[in-house]
Amino acid sequence: MQKPKILVVDDDPDLVRALRLRLRAHQYDIATATDGYSAIAAAQKEHPDLILLDLGLPAGDGFIVLDRLQKSDQLAGIPVIVLSARDPQNNEQRALKAGAAAYFQKPADNDELLSVIRTNLANVGSEQTPQPS
Amino acid sequence: MENRAKHILLIEDNPGDADLVRLRLVESKSPVEVNCVGRLSDGLATLAKELPSVILLDLNLPDCHGAETYRRVLEQAPGVPVVVLSGQDDEALAIKAVNQGVQDYLVKGDYSAKHLERSIRYAVERQALLRTLEITRKQQMEFKNQFLSHVSHELRTPLTCIHQYVSLLADGLAGPVLPDQADHLKTILKSVNQLHAMIRDLLEATRAESGKLRVEPRCVAIGDLVRQGVAMMQLAAQEKRVGLEVGLDQRIPLVHADPDRVIEVLINMIDNAIKFTGPDGAVTVKACLVEADPSTVYVSVTDTGRGIAPEAKAQIFERLYQDPEAVDNNRSGLGLGLFICRELVRLHRGRIWVTSEPGQGSTFTFTLPIYSLASLLQPVITHEERLRPNLVLIRLEVKPNATPPRGNWRETWHQCLETLQRCVYIDKDLVLPPLGSPGQAETFFVVASTDPGHAEIMTTRIREQIERATDIKAKGTLTITTTPIEVSPATVQESLGEQVQRVADIVNGMIMKIVGQESAQREIDLKANFKV
Repeated sequence: MQKPKILVVDDDPDLVRALRLRLRAHQYDIATATDGYSAIAAAQKEHPDLILLDLGLPAGDGFIVLDRLQKSDQLAGIPVIVLSARDPQNNEQRALKAGAAAYFQKPADNDELLSVIRTNLANVGSEQTPQPS
Repeated sequence: MENRAKHILLIEDNPGDADLVRLRLVESKSPVEVNCVGRLSDGLATLAKELPSVILLDLNLPDCHGAETYRRVLEQAPGVPVVVLSGQDDEALAIKAVNQGVQDYLVKGDYSAKHLERSIRYAVERQALLRTLEITRKQQMEFKNQFLSHVSHELRTPLTCIHQYVSLLADGLAGPVLPDQADHLKTILKSVNQLHAMIRDLLEATRAESGKLRVEPRCVAIGDLVRQGVAMMQLAAQEKRVGLEVGLDQRIPLVHADPDRVIEVLINMIDNAIKFTGPDGAVTVKACLVEADPSTVYVSVTDTGRGIAPEAKAQIFERLYQDPEAVDNNRSGLGLGLFICRELVRLHRGRIWVTSEPGQGSTFTFTLPIYSLASLLQPVITHEERLRPNLVLIRLEVKPNATPPRGNWRETWHQCLETLQRCVYIDKDLVLPPLGSPGQAETFFVVASTDPGHAEIMTTRIREQIERATDIKAKGTLTITTTPIEVSPATVQESLGEQVQRVADIVNGMIMKIVGQESAQREIDLKANFKV
């Protein structure tokens, strides 16, 4: 079976590298992007199963990325988990309304983050079976 | 000039005194317009329409006397300078008025044109200064808050990096780790977590100061929260060889509180208690009722530590307070924990205090209001001192069609609740606080004052609005049912409060029956799912 692919988007390359190491250890394939524009491009090219998204990004912040993803038929179904240093009180509801599946404030607990990643990947799997409308 | 009074509102019922004011103003050659009214009510009505540059106020009016007079004027026209016209015999009252926000006073029959002109001019100038000061203070406060919020954001970024790499090493993901190294890494992680907690506290305290701290009260079992809080601190207690125990009064009813916030307060207090208790000491967390205060639950954290000096008790909840004799002074924190606790408890309309015997230990106690359906229902189901005639219970069940729910169920849940709150009339319908959090309580209840025919229209509207606001159709099912609340007529002796209590008991009974069936059903579902 193919490994699930996660697109990690963060403008801090050091953090991207650490997340890549950790997620690889948990048997995920990793693609990365460090700004908003290349995040969309990577999402289109790599077909990730899940996106881990920072909010404060150059070339289109996280909310713009969320908006673009939602508006694309091809990408709207990909679950997005926001991982940002920003205050949840001002940003969590906004991110969730914009289509994010979960919001984590940095530094996040790794076990919790991994568990939410697993749940969301499981949901994607089950959504592929046709639903009665 | 800006600070010159142009319009004066004179509130004075004695025509002689009023004329004297006008005369003095003419003498002082001030080009002002004077509008004179004889009653406070007329004065307040004028103020509601237009604000003058200054108010001259007599304190003995036909419809109001004394301190009440200036209080109501200040309340109606905050920011407009007031000069009190006082009689010879009540100068003491005038001085009190000046202490409470009035700008100046003049004793009737004892002021010249010059006096009057100067008093008005200074009053206007001082008021303008106060306004500038207030604006500056607000700007400074806003600046400080923005700065702190920016700082805590910027600190998080490198902290996250440290946290990630240390845990990579500690978890062995970058190669094998020797036992000693593992130990060192654990110490680094502990310090990272402390730093993280400090940044969080900094932001919380900033929020508390600027009034942005929020609580979302629900109907919760305090015993569960105590057990959760204690479970989260058990490891820290064991590491210091401090016993951590729970004492719960079994009779405690549900409380009306924000579960996350209560746990935050508990953890803060338990953490403090452990910190100030030596090895082999004990910390006990209790929740109990006090007979003299039946609408409140008392939650306390008692330690056998070294106690608190009497003079420190008053300051201990203040922002930035630090124990001068803290044992591990290098790790004393920011001094914000108990301040945040106090603010959170205050937002729950509770109290917080400490009792302590130096050398014997301390007890920190806070109170939470007991969840009382009757007091929530009172303003809604009564009208003109009588119970409203038609009451129905609307039950709204939103059920996710997958376990665990697909996508963002939490958000859907909150949207349902928000939409529901928008669909009802707040003066005659009540959306009851949810009986838990998303994922555990999927049923919402509304007590509505409406006849069954209109309830039908109401439920249709609720359904339409929720379907429009959420993607509930794709994620689950929405069931709405209404049941009339059968209230037998009041007896002669029964007070309104007793009637409301009776309705609350009936509603509680109806809800318990439904929720009981649901949890029984959930257990059956669970058993079915786990059949081997």
